[in-house]
Amino acid sequence: MAPIGVDDTLPDGQLGWFDADDKLQQVSIHGLAAGKKVVIFGVPGAFTPTCSNQHVPGFVNQAEQLKAKGVDEILLVSVNDPFVMKAWAKTYPENKHVKFLADGLGTYTKELGLELDLSEKGLGIRSRRFALLADNLKVTVANIEEGGQFTISGAEEILKAL
Amino acid sequence: MASALVRRARGSAAAAPALWAAARGVASVGSDIVSSAPCVSLQKARSWDEGVATKFSTTPLKDIFHGKKVVIFGLPGAYTGVCSQAHVPSYKNNIDKLKEKGIDSVICVSINDPYVLNGWAEKLQAKDAIEFYGDFDGSFHKNLDLEIDLSAALLGHRSHRWSAFVDNGKIKVLNVEKAPSEFKVSGAEVILDQI
Repeated sequence: MAPIGVDDTLPDGQLGWFDADDKLQQVSIHGLAAGKKVVIFGVPGAFTPTCSNQHVPGFVNQAEQLKAKGVDEILLVSVNDPFVMKAWAKTYPENKHVKFLADGLGTYTKELGLELDLSEKGLGIRSRRFALLADNLKVTVANIEEGGQFTISGAEEILKAL
Repeated sequence: MASALVRRARGSAAAAPALWAAARGVASVGSDIVSSAPCVSLQKARSWDEGVATKFSTTPLKDIFHGKKVVIFGLPGAYTGVCSQAHVPSYKNNIDKLKEKGIDSVICVSINDPYVLNGWAEKLQAKDAIEFYGDFDGSFHKNLDLEIDLSAALLGHRSHRWSAFVDNGKIKVLNVEKAPSEFKVSGAEVILDQI
């Protein structure tokens, strides 16, 4: 699948999520994003440095600013199981708005055309690093990194676009 | 399949099925764990920086098992309930007794990447007692026929909950739970009596 881009429709998908009451749920992307402004950002792996120390904190810390600019949901997607995502989310006790969603089998990442083979590093098929802005399921911003760097996929770039 | 698991759990296997199973690369008492899973390596739990420093090197099975008395246990997933609250603590708390019985190393293996495993092992403060290895693509467990499809629990293909005593590569004891949520035969107390 070609990588998702501006003007594409956000595909639907089911992701795993431990909600605020610690119940395991399957949530649908369309259910969360239809009729709303959503930010979806993706990372190669929970508990890896750039993801943990730079990419996620950017969105956790700028969540209020994003909400003030009309963003309804901030969704983090990673090819990890929901238990790992829940444990990783707990390492950000200050997080109020970012939902840590599990794309355990990588199905949604493949729908987005954003898979990345990191088998050499012991990670298997994962997601590229990216950030998308979608308005009522229409992609208006698609910042997708080449390789593992962290240049355009942060919260600041999305804020600038809003 | 269910009856084969029950046989394994009782730690006894008739010679003919064991030979057949060994030829298929299936884990059973008497089979050689290294030749059951040829060309398979595991990934030692590590931080990303350690991965970079070691050029993401993997550990071949023979380095783990040859010339050593090893107790190895496998579980469905890091950060999940029984694994975190019962299975790992059972081995962490019995490490001295295992060492007294001449065990050289206690290994925990699961189908997780080595970074998640490292984060989990540090959280459980278990890295001093137990060596954690990731079977990130499931090839170790597939070769030993210890894999189970937990897609319904959103985990994908994972390991059964099991334990084994392996002496210089030969499986002497193998315990496999009937269901991954159970914790009856795969704990440290059980295997201490079997060594």
